[in-house]
Amino acid sequence: MAEISLRNLTIEFGDFKAVDDVSLTVKNGEFVVYLGPSGCGKTTTLRCIAGLVGATSGDVLFDGVRVNDLSASERNIAMVFQFVSLYPHLRIKENIVFPLKARGVAKAEIARKLDWVTEVFKLGDDLGRYPAALPPGARQKVALARAVIRDPAVLLLDEPLSAIDEQFREEMRWELGHLQRQLGVTTIYVTHDQREAMSLADRIVLMNNSRIVQVSVPDRMFFDPVDIFAGQFIGSPSMNLIDLEPVSGGLKLGGSDVTLTPERERLPQWALSSARPLKLGVRPINVHLVDDPQAGVALPVDDVFSVGRERFFSFRIGDTIHQGVDKRRSNSGSEGRVHFDPDGFLFFDAQTGRRVGAEDAA
Amino acid sequence: MASSQTTTTEDRAAGHARRQAELRKRSSGRLMIFGFLSPSLAILLFMVAYPIFSLIYYSFYNFSALRQTTMKPVGLSNYTFLLSDPELWQRFVFTGKFVFICVTLQMLIGIFVGYQLQKNFRGRDIIFTLLMMPMMLSPVVVGFLWRYMLNSEWGIVNYLLSSVGLPKVDWLGQTNAALWAAAAADTWMWTPFIVLLATAAFRGIPETIYEAAEVDGASPAYRFFRITLPMSAPVLFIALILRLIDSFKQYDLFVALTGGGPGSSTETVSYAVAKTAFSYFYTGEASALAVILLLIITGLSMILVRHLTKMGEKY
Amino acid sequence: MTNARTSMIDLATRWLILGLLIVYTIYNVGPIFWLLLSSFKSRMDLFSMPPKLFFTPDLSGYQSVFGVGAAKDSASAVGVFDSLVNSIIVSVSGTALAVFFGTLAGYVCSRFNFRGKGDFMFFVLSTRMLPPVAVLVFYHLMFARLGLADTRFGLVLVAIFANIGLATWIMKGFFDGVPKEVEQIAIVNGYTRMYAFTRLVLPMVKGGIAATAGFCFIFAWNEFAFASILTTTQAKTLPVKISAASGATGIEWTQICAAGVVLIIPVLIFFYLIRKHLLMGMTFGVLGRR
Repeated sequence: MAEISLRNLTIEFGDFKAVDDVSLTVKNGEFVVYLGPSGCGKTTTLRCIAGLVGATSGDVLFDGVRVNDLSASERNIAMVFQFVSLYPHLRIKENIVFPLKARGVAKAEIARKLDWVTEVFKLGDDLGRYPAALPPGARQKVALARAVIRDPAVLLLDEPLSAIDEQFREEMRWELGHLQRQLGVTTIYVTHDQREAMSLADRIVLMNNSRIVQVSVPDRMFFDPVDIFAGQFIGSPSMNLIDLEPVSGGLKLGGSDVTLTPERERLPQWALSSARPLKLGVRPINVHLVDDPQAGVALPVDDVFSVGRERFFSFRIGDTIHQGVDKRRSNSGSEGRVHFDPDGFLFFDAQTGRRVGAEDAA
Repeated sequence: MASSQTTTTEDRAAGHARRQAELRKRSSGRLMIFGFLSPSLAILLFMVAYPIFSLIYYSFYNFSALRQTTMKPVGLSNYTFLLSDPELWQRFVFTGKFVFICVTLQMLIGIFVGYQLQKNFRGRDIIFTLLMMPMMLSPVVVGFLWRYMLNSEWGIVNYLLSSVGLPKVDWLGQTNAALWAAAAADTWMWTPFIVLLATAAFRGIPETIYEAAEVDGASPAYRFFRITLPMSAPVLFIALILRLIDSFKQYDLFVALTGGGPGSSTETVSYAVAKTAFSYFYTGEASALAVILLLIITGLSMILVRHLTKMGEKY
Repeated sequence: MTNARTSMIDLATRWLILGLLIVYTIYNVGPIFWLLLSSFKSRMDLFSMPPKLFFTPDLSGYQSVFGVGAAKDSASAVGVFDSLVNSIIVSVSGTALAVFFGTLAGYVCSRFNFRGKGDFMFFVLSTRMLPPVAVLVFYHLMFARLGLADTRFGLVLVAIFANIGLATWIMKGFFDGVPKEVEQIAIVNGYTRMYAFTRLVLPMVKGGIAATAGFCFIFAWNEFAFASILTTTQAKTLPVKISAASGATGIEWTQICAAGVVLIIPVLIFFYLIRKHLLMGMTFGVLGRR
């Protein structure tokens, strides 16, 4: 196990900057998830930590020691790849012990370790099979077993669950989290699935356009996004984003004639007097369709739809469609008022996209 | 078709048409199989089956094509004579040595070069075409070319040898040297084939497999022997069997390179068949020898075909 | 420290590999270069010691192959040109017919299951494996009896037989790459299977047919064993004529080298054109389908 640090890491492929000046420290035993849309540089960062891609500038440190010049095989890392990377010509058992054999570990030790991972991953039945005979989920389990069998300094996981059926993925995710806590191995996990990130990570590193956007624990990622991108990337359905126009007596929702007021929506004073244009971010869970004709505001409701026990609705501000939760007692068509819950209000600078609060507006 | 006009209800017409179509489809399928296969089948029966059965028939007779003598049935004596003939065994031994040297050299060099050339680089297509050139030559030209280069007095090979202080070798005048000369020519011609197949096999291994192996701490050599070789084994096996068969039946090269000499020491089994049939005109005996040769080749071919069919299913 | 040592070994290995590659390249390309060079040498220059790299080019080898110029009046030279004509006629028509029949058979083998299909496929493939001299023992008699000996027609027949297996297997590979839905949709829409084959499937494998033809041509063009036994004077092909050039007056090396160069040029062109399908052709359509 080790502490992994990146210092001003930059990786270029020709003219393209895949990773731009990234610095981060992953603590010993920590589970860090790199999250971001495809092409944001998260996988490249991971591959650089693995030693499969070279850094253009900046350093990679394991326990304070610079490892830039070490090849992947010299770094004592373990990695699970997005697409199955088991050796198709070797049985499961031979696949799992491959890293030990490659390093010339003694036979007795190999047998002991094999017993251990077989036990942990419950692989007893599959040891004699070939990878092709196993379903994708089970293959990734084997890949994971192969990764942890030799106490790696760090476990690198590159979208390990994305090729697995939805149903099995949940189960694997749970097992993976459990296993990581049990082994206490430093883990860096790359995914584009924010739900995976939220449920697994000690800390999330959100990346976009080759740079780190935000690093925080999952809860703060959700409640305190640093900018519009972070706010919209995390959470499903996605955060509603509404233009605000200052008018006398409140803030008008751009493209409509509805105005939010300091009284009803408890708009903060600084927001009313903000010098720069603002956008309002509010998550669907904080927008309610209610029966009470006195509450909230009147906005055209497009559609009401159920997802399991919950009912959602979509409404229109100008030409944009937004979503909220239908809190009415029964689904009575599109009748009702839209209530914005001020606790969920996030204000963003309309120009820079950065989050703004009372202190910024001053 | 026209029959639909005679029926009264649309329903029945449709049903009838469907049946007709079904029938037409099935019979047209059969017609197609028959029509499309019969020319090939006819040619093969006439050019392969008929000759082979005739060979087997002739192999039980004492008979010469040249003298148009009557065919005298001799039972198995052609075979017993051949199998007790030390000269034939010598030819088998020579052919065996030749096959072994050729196949070993070609596989080793081909795998090595193929491994180095698997990466994409600029001008790869051109370099590949250039490297493949020996394979494009007619074996006779190859034979003469090497005979020309290996000439003991004015050949370029001996010139190069002597210019670095090595003694000149009478390449085609000594049995052993001639064996190695023939192997060098065959290897020159056919190693590119192994390079071609090996490169394709190596390129078929996904990059992530290598990355996984590297992460798993495997050294380049370990990766090569534990990942690259075993994963490309099915393709390399095809290459191996094909080279076994082709070098075993090698004939053209020896005609041009050694003419079977010195003496008859570099005669392959194929060469012996040709010599028996077309120089001595012992047609019966040549037939028997041809049958023996065919049996060996068929055995090798069956291994190959079984393997090819399996590969065909997999790919 | 260990790093320094490993990198030393790495470096040494890399140099060793490079060295071996260079040696192989010389072995591989050298003889071709020597062939090309020698084809322009006069009799004098051929035997000079040390061998000459620079000399006045002498075209007599090529002149005799193409039957032009000074060498024209010599009887043997005309023969060489005739054999070139024979080679072209035999390999072009043999290729065309083998590809035609092979395309039909390959299509059926790709699309239908019929009794004895496996046996047929093996039978077809055996033509590639067959040692020519074995069947030649009988062909020799058969051709004499049927009046096919020393005729181009006989050699065309051989070229068809020798390439039909390859053509069938490669074409089957290409047809396997065309989705079955192509015909199914056509048949559902009321077209016949034949229409689907000729108008839809065949155009889709045009490239494959060209590649197959390339392969068959190369093999037919270079064929020696059959042609050498089954011809005596009239129908000799160029490879056979070359081997006859080693006759009474000693070996006509210049002529052989020039003929070798002439022989390789069309093959080189075909090879380059069909390079994408090289694997397919060399392994009976099993490998190299992408």
